[in-house]
Amino acid sequence: MTATLRSLLRHETILAILLVLVLAALATQSDRFFTTANLLNQGRLMAEVGLVALVMTFVIVTGGIDLSVGSILGLTAILLGVFWHNLGLPLPVAMVLAIVAAGIGGLINGLIITRFKVPPLIATLATLALYRGLAEGISQARSVRGYPEWFFVLGQGEVLGVPTQLWILGALVVIAAVVLGLTTFGRATYATGANETGARFSGIGVDRTKLLIYTASGLVAGLAGVIFVSRVSTTRSDMGTGLELDVITAVVLGGTSIFGGRGTIIGTVLGLILMQALKNGLALSGVKGDGTIVVIGLVLILAIVASNLFSREGDG
Amino acid sequence: MLKRTVALALGLSLGVSSAALAATWTGGDDLPTNPLACNGTPGKAEAKPYDGGVPTNAPDRKGKPIKVVDVPKLIGIGYFNATSKGIADAAKELGNVEAKTDGPTQANIDQQISFIDNYITSGVDGILFAANDPVAIAPVLKKALAAGINVVGYDANSQPDARQWFVNQAEFNGIAKALVDNMAKEVGEDASFAIVTSTFTTPNQARWISEMEAYQAKCHPNMKWLETVEAQEDNVLSFNQATTLINKHGDDLKGIFGMTSVATPASAEAVTQAGKCGKISVVGLATPNAMKPYVEKDCVKSVVLWNPVDLGYAALQVLRATADGDLKPGATSVKAGKLGDLQVINGSEILLGAPFTFTKDNIKDFDF
Repeated sequence: MTATLRSLLRHETILAILLVLVLAALATQSDRFFTTANLLNQGRLMAEVGLVALVMTFVIVTGGIDLSVGSILGLTAILLGVFWHNLGLPLPVAMVLAIVAAGIGGLINGLIITRFKVPPLIATLATLALYRGLAEGISQARSVRGYPEWFFVLGQGEVLGVPTQLWILGALVVIAAVVLGLTTFGRATYATGANETGARFSGIGVDRTKLLIYTASGLVAGLAGVIFVSRVSTTRSDMGTGLELDVITAVVLGGTSIFGGRGTIIGTVLGLILMQALKNGLALSGVKGDGTIVVIGLVLILAIVASNLFSREGDG
Repeated sequence: MLKRTVALALGLSLGVSSAALAATWTGGDDLPTNPLACNGTPGKAEAKPYDGGVPTNAPDRKGKPIKVVDVPKLIGIGYFNATSKGIADAAKELGNVEAKTDGPTQANIDQQISFIDNYITSGVDGILFAANDPVAIAPVLKKALAAGINVVGYDANSQPDARQWFVNQAEFNGIAKALVDNMAKEVGEDASFAIVTSTFTTPNQARWISEMEAYQAKCHPNMKWLETVEAQEDNVLSFNQATTLINKHGDDLKGIFGMTSVATPASAEAVTQAGKCGKISVVGLATPNAMKPYVEKDCVKSVVLWNPVDLGYAALQVLRATADGDLKPGATSVKAGKLGDLQVINGSEILLGAPFTFTKDNIKDFDF
């Protein structure tokens, strides 16, 4: 196979073709699917998963995983309410503090993983329970409501006709793509995932890279938490339950190898859009919720299998 | 530097959590309570102006066929299967309503919002809902009203201005009285009890618990409240939580209240497996089918509920009456098919009736 053909058959290309096919198919099923209002609205709904998925791509490229993101989101939501309502801090300060706390949550993940050599799966499985427990313990199940009107701009408002959180997501997509694709930090991320020992001997700061990535993962989960609170206008300790599965599905669907060393932001974005389009489009064409989950599972398997077949040929 | 940050974080979280833990917490909400009289005198309904929402530019739907979607808290459990059956029954009887039930497989507010959002886009005429969270669901329901869709809640309310009407299965103080009276009758006036609920913020459960607290303080002042535990309407978790309660409190524990249709049978199963039948009473809200084995073995004596099939039936009848313009703000009652006239209470709620206690004598007459 020629080099051009090989690069054409990359996972992202296959995924993009699949996405176009799916979008076309869904558009024929419901005339309300391909409308600006619906597409922007779907963008609003996928922003939280999207934000977390961007950094999760980095995490998985290093060969790690972060299962605690949903719990961090819930903890941030609760802390936002506690800082603002119970401690009486101004809301902007409470927002910043809550996100900082989420970053510390991520940093703790990173420390456990790098300093104590605990496998990321185990470390974040433990903090998944720990952070959710903290959220429930701190909130004592009281939800905080009655946020001022301006706060809802973040989750329910729009800027220039586009939902506010889509701008944030868009900006972070560009930043993440540049950092992963064009910087030394991005190269260090790939090197860490592809061959950690090799990377260490090449003088790459593997631990520092991981620490930064897990902290960033906490930070975006915190940011997503604040947006989530603004979107639904209340805090609950069970917010974000199961978020990690949606996020990991989007990233893996986007072609990031769960063994590390391989993956792109473009792929993650495509995976994210494909998943949201399926959820929305199938619902609009009358498929019930349980059926939708089945289809998403099938598409995930299909995309991975197809990509594996082509890449084996391509590499060989 | 790193160590200092971590220490700061730990200190911060400990400080916050201990401040929040200082107040004892029973799982109720902070709203005012209105306990009924101990001897069974019915409470009097206070007239309140209509406080529901109004759809924007709703088309004239009088007598026309309409498409309705029902989004319960979750699908696939006995309780919402029963409400769904009631909705289907009413749709069949009315003949001009196409109704379907769809929703998340877990009681998750985020997913429920997405479902409703998608159905608004797909262009339905009416939405029935049972809210996972009264505040969080409000923005999407307001969006439905703004799109001219008729919105009626049942089982679990939202903020009043986010929907038109809410079909109330039983007044909270009525349920609270039935539960506490049954428990007092079974375990005595000075016994200790605990509660297994769904989550502390689920609107119905929090309201019932607050009313139970008020009614118990007023009419059974010597009963002792041990603790309230969360079990998410999850079968396994409810069983584990009930088992933990039994082990933790030992002989002190005389009664368990199950606040959901999942927690009650799971608590009864936990009591059975612990060999404590007759020593620990389970009183709770549940569907009769799930409770039959325990009631027949005399392990559970009273199960309190309304009829969820009637609840679903009434919800769709109310929605149809609203879409037809027969039920307007300010009305005092509404015709609901075979259920007859239902009373309007609290401004924009419709009361289904008094709660019902299933016992060994009558439970076999019900199948849902």
